[in-house]
Amino acid sequence: MAELKKTSDATRKSVFLRWAYGNLTCFTQEHMQTFGYLAAMLPAIDELYDKDEDKVEALKTYSAFFNTEPQIGSIVVGLTVGLEEARANGEPMDSETINGIRAGLMGPLAGLGDSIIVGTFIPILLGIAMGLSQGGSVLGPIFYIVAWNALMYFGMKYAFDQGYSMGGAAVEALVGPQSAALRSAIGTVGTMVIGAVAGTWVSISTSFAVQFSADSAFVLQKTLDGIMPKALNLLFVYLCWWLMTKKKISPTIVMLILVVIALVGCITIPGINTSFFDPGLSY
Amino acid sequence: MTINIVQAIFLGLFACLASLPGMGGTTIGNYTLGRPLVGGLIVGIIMGNVGLGIIVGAAIQVVYIALVTPGGTVSADVRAVTYIGIPLAMMGITAQGLDPNSAAAAGYAASIGSAVGTLGTVLFYGTQTMNLVWQGIGWKAMDAGNWGNIKKTLPLVDYVFPWISHILFSFLPTVVICMAGPTMVDLMKEYLPMDGLFMKTLFTVGSLLPTVGIAILCRQVIDGWQDWVTFIVGFMLAAVLGMNLIASAIVAVFVALINYEIKTIAARPAVAAGPALDDDDEEDI
Repeated sequence: MAELKKTSDATRKSVFLRWAYGNLTCFTQEHMQTFGYLAAMLPAIDELYDKDEDKVEALKTYSAFFNTEPQIGSIVVGLTVGLEEARANGEPMDSETINGIRAGLMGPLAGLGDSIIVGTFIPILLGIAMGLSQGGSVLGPIFYIVAWNALMYFGMKYAFDQGYSMGGAAVEALVGPQSAALRSAIGTVGTMVIGAVAGTWVSISTSFAVQFSADSAFVLQKTLDGIMPKALNLLFVYLCWWLMTKKKISPTIVMLILVVIALVGCITIPGINTSFFDPGLSY
Repeated sequence: MTINIVQAIFLGLFACLASLPGMGGTTIGNYTLGRPLVGGLIVGIIMGNVGLGIIVGAAIQVVYIALVTPGGTVSADVRAVTYIGIPLAMMGITAQGLDPNSAAAAGYAASIGSAVGTLGTVLFYGTQTMNLVWQGIGWKAMDAGNWGNIKKTLPLVDYVFPWISHILFSFLPTVVICMAGPTMVDLMKEYLPMDGLFMKTLFTVGSLLPTVGIAILCRQVIDGWQDWVTFIVGFMLAAVLGMNLIASAIVAVFVALINYEIKTIAARPAVAAGPALDDDDEEDI
């Protein structure tokens, strides 16, 4: 029997780099990451099969629609390199099985990647970086550039290698119940840091004030500060969240609602001569 | 603050790299160069005022702190926010004579950035529609079934041809709008007085907009009222105790560690005599 076919380290590195760079470069709504996937698989398939017809046939497997969170999705690409090796060695592995695995993984991984990487991890890094960039310091952006790219490169490489060597078990560890506690902990960090961002980087204040006599006035902002400093930040975050989650309004429409609130709030109320918002600027 | 054609060309190139989907790739392009905070540094270097660039970038970053694009639907375009919005906001702040460190400057930057970002979604749809042409070339090669040709064509389709989409929908719009920027900013200053309703609204909206970005994040991480408590504790660390974000993050990690320990203990199966008996059985064999 012929010796077992195997991809070389250099080939797998090439597949990984092609995917890491090109997963979305030729994005369309119709075939989101399909061409990124096809282009990434080329070196592996070229090495594993001898005959050109077999190469074309194998590559056609990956012309099925693919879309996930591409960074965590590296694990799927690594996994399919492993499956392709099995097929090249004559194991019972057909296109339908491979695509069944791909299709079954891309949904859960997209949900996981969007919420953990994009929705939690990036905001934490950005929150810290914004803190470092107060007053225009270059430290903030440089921290983000270095920390994010280093962690992502090694993270994606690790996911790819795990996918290749462990097969389906790697993905099971990622989306399985064991990781629920870890995901919940990461979510806690994210929630608290975002709370701190809301307390640091948002500054909403009201100018509403009614003068009763020379030495007595009602200043709304003072009253609010007595309840909770920066209470209006919280109120508006909650309002936007409520509109989006409970009323299913899109972020763009929520922005327009805020424009209307700002416009109405800036109109001076006749009689008491005050408005809710006044940036108090002049040339 | 003025802008010359060389500066505009650099902004245009970075717009090509930083888009979603951009020629810099996902990790380096969209998630690094496309973040307004990083863009602030780059635009600051290009425009010759790094400090102002980063301040403006950070102010716009709050609005887009959680720009998740599930299934490829976008509510804002990162290349427009970062490489059109930041230069325009920098020119505006300089022309209006605002103190860069003031809340007003941050509000102005957020308003300009968001307006440009929302309109910029046109560029997103333009780029990806044009990419259909390149994918068409790829499908044709796949159908013809000639391996040598496929091997040559697919990398071109994925790594090279999309540049053409970007020259049309990233590079040219960025260069043209940024070159027109100073004129637009001057016109605004001339016709819209700072204490008029329009400018008051613009600045107020700018102070309100970051809450949308934060609310998008909350939608991701908050499931019930308990999570709101966690959120408010984080808020209080900053707003009441005056902690900076690094200190707040450390407290958050501490709380998460406790949370993790409790969850793992709870997930462990109840300790019983069962496993010990099993061990005995095996030793008998």
